Formats: sequence, C-alpha cells, structure tokens
Amino acid sequence: MNVAVEMDDVRQGELLNVSEAGPAPKRIIAGFGFWIFLLSDIVMFSALFASYAVLAKASAGGPTGAQLFNLRTAAMETAFLLLSSYSCGLMSLAINSRQHIGVYFGAVVTFLLGAAFLNLELREFHDMIAMGAAPQRSAFLSAFFTLVGCHGLHVAVGLVWLVLMMIQLSIRGFHGVVVRRLHCFSLFWHALDIIWVLIFTIVYLMGVLPSLIRVGTLHRETGPRSRSRSKVRPPASLCTRSVCCWLRS
Amino acid sequence: MMYVNLFWVWGHPEVYILVLPAFGIYSEVSATFSGKPLFGYRSMVGATLVICVLSYTVWLHHFFTMGASAGVNAFFGITSMIIGVPTGVKVFNWLFTMYGGRVRFTVPVLWTIGFMVTFVFGGLTGVLLALPAVDWQVHNSVFLIAHFHHVIIPGVLFGAIAGYNYWFPKAFGFKLDERWGVASFWCWFIGFHLAFMPLYVTGLMGMTRRLQHYDVLAWQPWLLVAEAGAVIILAGIICQVAQLVVSIRHREQLRDTTGDPWNGRTLEWATASPPPAWNFAVLPRVDELDAFWAKKQRVLAKQDLPGGRHKYDPIEVPKNSPTGFVTAFFAVITGFALIWHIWWMAGVGLLGAAVMWLAFMFRAEDEVEISAEQVGQFDRTHSVEVSL
Repeated sequence: MNVAVEMDDVRQGELLNVSEAGPAPKRIIAGFGFWIFLLSDIVMFSALFASYAVLAKASAGGPTGAQLFNLRTAAMETAFLLLSSYSCGLMSLAINSRQHIGVYFGAVVTFLLGAAFLNLELREFHDMIAMGAAPQRSAFLSAFFTLVGCHGLHVAVGLVWLVLMMIQLSIRGFHGVVVRRLHCFSLFWHALDIIWVLIFTIVYLMGVLPSLIRVGTLHRETGPRSRSRSKVRPPASLCTRSVCCWLRS
Repeated sequence: MMYVNLFWVWGHPEVYILVLPAFGIYSEVSATFSGKPLFGYRSMVGATLVICVLSYTVWLHHFFTMGASAGVNAFFGITSMIIGVPTGVKVFNWLFTMYGGRVRFTVPVLWTIGFMVTFVFGGLTGVLLALPAVDWQVHNSVFLIAHFHHVIIPGVLFGAIAGYNYWFPKAFGFKLDERWGVASFWCWFIGFHLAFMPLYVTGLMGMTRRLQHYDVLAWQPWLLVAEAGAVIILAGIICQVAQLVVSIRHREQLRDTTGDPWNGRTLEWATASPPPAWNFAVLPRVDELDAFWAKKQRVLAKQDLPGGRHKYDPIEVPKNSPTGFVTAFFAVITGFALIWHIWWMAGVGLLGAAVMWLAFMFRAEDEVEISAEQVGQFDRTHSVEVSL
C-alpha cells in the first residue's frame, strides 16, 4: 500500500530507468525475501494438508475426528487468532505513525491472544493424549498432530519473536532494521492466521459436521462424543442433507 | 507409500533445483567461449519457468509400481515426458549459441560439450522410463541407475566443474592449469561412459540395484567394463587434484592481471580478480544483455580508452558475519541428533543455533561504510573497469 502511494506521487516521466534507479530499498528487499520464506512454509503446510486429507479416515478402529473434536474449543481458538491478527494490524498502523505506546499495546494484546490460543490447543492435545488418542494410535491421529502441532509450533515461535522484537524496540527505538523485522513479523502472523482458517475448515468443521448432521437426522451413535454434539441440533432441511452428502462423498 | 510420496513430491523438484544452476553455468560458458550472445535468451528463461512448474507434477514416476490406477500412472507418465520438452529447448539453445561462433575449446567448454552429449543420452533413457509399461519392466534395475547417473552426473557435476574452471580466476586471481584440466575431462568423460553404458545392458538382462553379490555369468563381462570405467574416473579425479596443486604452484605464471581472462561478456569480468568487497566502484549502467561485452565494443569502436576520472561515493556493504556458518554447524548437530533420537544432543544443537540467532539479532551494526578514498584508491590501482 505504501509502495503504491509513493509511486502515485511521482510522475511516470520522472521515474529513472530501472538500471539507473539503483538498488531497491531495504524495506522492499527484506519484505520480498520474507514472502519467499512464507511461500516455502505454505508449500510445507500444503503437503501436511494433503497427507491429512488422505489419512483423515484412517482411524484404525480408534477414535475418529467426529468423536474427538470439540467445535466450541476450535471456534474459540479461531476467535483468539483472528482477533490477534486484528491487534497485530493495529500494531502495524502504530509502527507506521511511530507511536511507542500504540505498538506496545498492540504487541501485548497480540501476545495475550496468541498465548490464549496456544493454551487452548495444548489443553486439547493433552486431553486427547490422556484419553488414548495419541499420535501413535492411528494414521489419522499422526497426520492430525503433525499438521495442527506444526501450526502451533509456528505460533509459539511467533510469540518468542514478538517478545524479542519488543526488547529490540525498547533498546533501539524505530531503527530501520527494527521496523523491517516488525513488518516481517506481521506478515508471519497473518500467514499463520490463513493456515489456521484452513485447519479450522478442513480438520474441525469437515471432521465434525457430517456426523453432526447424521446424528441430528438419522440415528444416535454410542461411544465417546464431543460436548458440542449433544447440544447442536442442525435442521434436517434438504439443503443440509445435500451438504452432508457432498461432504461424505 | 505416504512417506515415499511426500519424499518425492519434495525430491523431484529438488533434482531440478540441483540442475538449474548448472544449466545457468552452461549458458554463461557457451556464450562466452563462442563469442556470441546466448541464443534464445527469452526462451531459455521461459523453459526454466516451465521446468519449475512441471517439476511439481512428475513425482509419481519414481514409483509407478506403487499400485496407483492406470489413469494416475498415465498422468504422471505424460507429464514426465512433457518436462523433456523445455529441457530440449535449452539443449538446442546451447547448440545454436555455439553454431556459427568461434568456439575456443577451453576446459569449461569441454565440460559443456561433454555434458550435452551425455545428458541427451540420459534424457532419452529418461523418456523411456517415463512410460509406465516400460518402467514396470526395469523398475529398481540398474537400467534406472544408469539413467539417473546419466542425467545427474553431467547435469550437476560437469556443470559444477565447468563453473569451477570458469570462475576460479575471478575468485582467486589466477587461472587453473589447462593441461591437467583437459586430462581430467577426458578421463571423466571416457570413464563415465565405460562405467554406465554397460549398466543399461545388464539392467535389461534383469540385474537389480543394491546387489551385494551376483552369480550370473552373462553379466560378468559388462560389469568388468564398468569397473574399468570406474578406475578411469578415479584417474580423472586424481588429475583434478593435480590440476589444483599445479595451479597453486604456478600461480604467478597463471596470474590474471586484467580481471577479464576469457574475454568475457558479463559484468563480473569488469571487476578486478579477485573483486573487492564492494564489487563496483561506480554503479554500472546496464542497457542490454552482455553489458560488459557491449561496453568493450563501444570502447573499441570509438578508440576511447578508459582513464576518465570518476567521482567516487562511499559504499555501504553488509558486515562480515559468521552467523550462517555457525548456524549451519549447529543445525547439522540437531539434524544428526534427531535422526538418531539423541535428545540431549538435539537440545544442544538448537540452543547453539538460537544463541547465534540472538547474537545476530542484537548486533549493533549490520553494515560498514567503505570510504570514497578507499574505493578510489583501489579503482586507480586496478584500472580494469572499462569506464563503467
């Protein structure tokens, strides 16, 4: 956005030939390099998503996603992460206007929301392992813990990074390198959000909804079940039935 | 099979990551020593991009025998054949670069020509293997071994050696000995074909890979030929070491004082050998491909010898840093420890890398400024830049 504004301010005729313009500003170079890193990260996550999609049904007689996942927890995790992305955006605005207080405030809110997300996720993992749904149990669970755990590890690293950046900001102020790194951090944080939205959709929603609809319309299954399942009663309309068929097919 | 799929969906693009830089070296070498611009530069760039995209669509050809449906195998067979097309475009571009040029048969050129001959063999057997029906017959046989050595060795190793001979004077200030270089090339080239051509035959005769012993008499003569080839390759490696030792001994005679020992075309040859940390005293102006060559032609045409005084500005360069090396050291320790489940060692590796990152993150200065006087001083004593 900033680049576009700067370009608009210059009349095209006055722009230098590319070879005479000199090297690109460091802000652009650092951002570009970080985008390449993010894309490589997304390549890795796409491989993990593909593995999960292949193994999602391979529960080896063990617990399935529909029995394990709690949609309310997942929704809360989603809310925490999306809100932390918003506060991260506010932090970026404060950086652009060089407001120390605003940056610290945005960083603290982002950190707390990220930590709350991580807390919920770790508790979910802990509960699953405690009830015997550990990664070793089935191929489905191996794929689940690898995919979701890898995202959680990214969030944890992001939190450490954020703390370090606040220390740097307090020492060096809005030094060029500090601003560039904070810019990279916000790119990283938003990318993690996008990955999470996919995890929420593909792992949690698609893992729970088909059976929810089945429970609501056809029959009740026995065995361990998530808390949300007994409460949510989806309408057995023609529309949901067709969605259900599509999801199951 | 999940693991093998994941491995090769990474691994196949990776072999193109190996070979594409080597392709770049061949492009530089063939243009420089033919005295012509690279033929079809844009198609070369386009072919590289096409290879990048297609490289993600061929991984299943490593295991057509997995048991996937005929449709899946046909898809990956066809994409594997299609990826030969941009590669073929590149080979033709190098050939047409040399066609009609005044080719100087230096060591890098020998490696480049050796590459083209050998790589086309490897590529053709690769297209054979891309047919699932054929692949079922020779899967995991030494036919496959011969094929991938036939593409990877000339594709990557020959390219690395060509680049080593080509840029050595730029990096170290003296050329490598030509005679030992030529001897090394011929030993490698002849030895390589003797070593791997027989494997196609024994592969078709049913010899599988990773054999600890064999008792088939019919293979014996072919494998003896292959062994002789391996010995000749060893001679090539010894020549290579001798080349380096001899060159270091005779470095004063081989010294490159011009900065442009090959009559080069690209800008790195416009700097001193070895170049200073800031590369160019004055930012060069680039209007066309082969900027240095064009500049030299203009200077010759105008009889306008360099010597004009520049106004020098201070140059900011990144500070030297051991971060990459130290991090790589600890990353190796971590990787090793994780493979062998030595958890304490993995912790040590991660901690070491993290401490290094912190030191890098909190260092006070990232750049040092080189004064205008120092830049000017170097430029006057090494007046090789053709008034860039």
